[in-house]
Amino acid sequence: MTQPPDSRVPRPPADDGVTYVFAVCRATRAVGALDLADEAGMPGGRAVRLLPAGLLTAVVQTVPAADFTDEVWQRRLSDRTQIERYARAHHAVVSNVAAHAPVVPLPLATLYHDDDRARTRLATDANRFHTALKRVAHHAEWGVKVYRAPTPEPDPTPDEPLTAAGGRVPGAGLAYLNRKRGVQALRERRREQALDVAESVDAELRGLAAASRRLRTHGAALSGDDRTHVLNATYLVADERAGELRRLVRALGDRTGSQIELSGPWVPYSFVGEV
Amino acid sequence: MATHDVVPWDGQEPLSGPLGVPLVDLLDRVLATGVVVSGDLVIAIADVPLVRLSLHALLSSVNERVPAPWNDGGPL
Repeated sequence: MTQPPDSRVPRPPADDGVTYVFAVCRATRAVGALDLADEAGMPGGRAVRLLPAGLLTAVVQTVPAADFTDEVWQRRLSDRTQIERYARAHHAVVSNVAAHAPVVPLPLATLYHDDDRARTRLATDANRFHTALKRVAHHAEWGVKVYRAPTPEPDPTPDEPLTAAGGRVPGAGLAYLNRKRGVQALRERRREQALDVAESVDAELRGLAAASRRLRTHGAALSGDDRTHVLNATYLVADERAGELRRLVRALGDRTGSQIELSGPWVPYSFVGEV
Repeated sequence: MATHDVVPWDGQEPLSGPLGVPLVDLLDRVLATGVVVSGDLVIAIADVPLVRLSLHALLSSVNERVPAPWNDGGPL
C-alpha cells in the first residue's frame, strides 16, 4: 500500500445492493413455502429470500455492492478469518435449504447486478440447472480423505562403521552414498505404496458412486497434523447407498491399514458444475 | 437417514448441521470445485466481472507441500 485508506476517495453512489445467489431449486410448493426468516446469510446483507425465475427458484440476498467488489474479495480471500466467515455463511444457507429440497449450490460469491439480471441469467441456463437438479436429487456428496500415517525415518544404520577415531575407513564415501540411495529408495517405495493405496481406495469407491472428483490434497500446515494426505476425493452417492459407502470405507481402512476419513453428507457442491 | 458414526459433524440433521465442518473441506467445495474458474456453470451463468475470484493468495498458503494431483494446475 502506497497510501493509507483515504476517506476523500469518492464513495460509490448510493448502494442499492447487488443480488447474491446461494442456490437454485425447482419452483415447487415446498420451496415456495420455505421459511427463510432465520437465515442470516452474508454479513451485512438484507433478508435472505426467494427469487422466482420461471420453473426455478433462486435463494438470494441483497448485499451491499461496495462490500462485494472484486477488490474486497481479493482481500477477503487472503484473510483466513474473513473467508471462513463468508464461506460458513454461504454454506449455512445452502445446507438449510438443501434440507428441504434438492438444490444446485452456487459457489461462494456468485453475484448479479440486480434481481432482473439474476433472473434472466438463470432463465437462460434453466436447462442446465434442471439437469443438475435431476442429477443430484436423492444423492449426496461424500468426502473421503486418505492419510498415510507418519513413518519413522528409515534407519540410517551405517553398514560400514567408522574407525574408532571417527575417521573414514576406506570406501566410507561410497558406503555413505549407498546408504543415502537406500534411504531415498525406501522413501520412494513408501510414497508409491501410499499412492497405490489411494488409487485402489478411489477405484473401489467409484464403483459405488454415481460420480466422483479428485480434489487437491492438503498440506500438513493446513490440517494441523503430520500425516501425509494422499487422497482427497469426493463422491456423489445415492442416498440409499450411504450405509454401503460407510461400510466400504471402514473395510478399506481395515484392509489397507490407512487412515481413511469420511465426511458427509454434503450438499453436492462438487457435482453441479459439469452438466 | 441412519446414524453416522464416522463423521464428527454429521449429526441428527445431516444437511443442516454445518457448523463443525472443517474449513478446508468447506473451501474445497464452495471455492475450488472447478465451477468457479474453469468456466462451466458459474462463469457461464454469472453475469460477473463484478467478482472475479482469485484464490491463489488463499490456497497457495493452504497447500505448498503436497503437489496438486492434476497436471493442468487444477480447478484453480
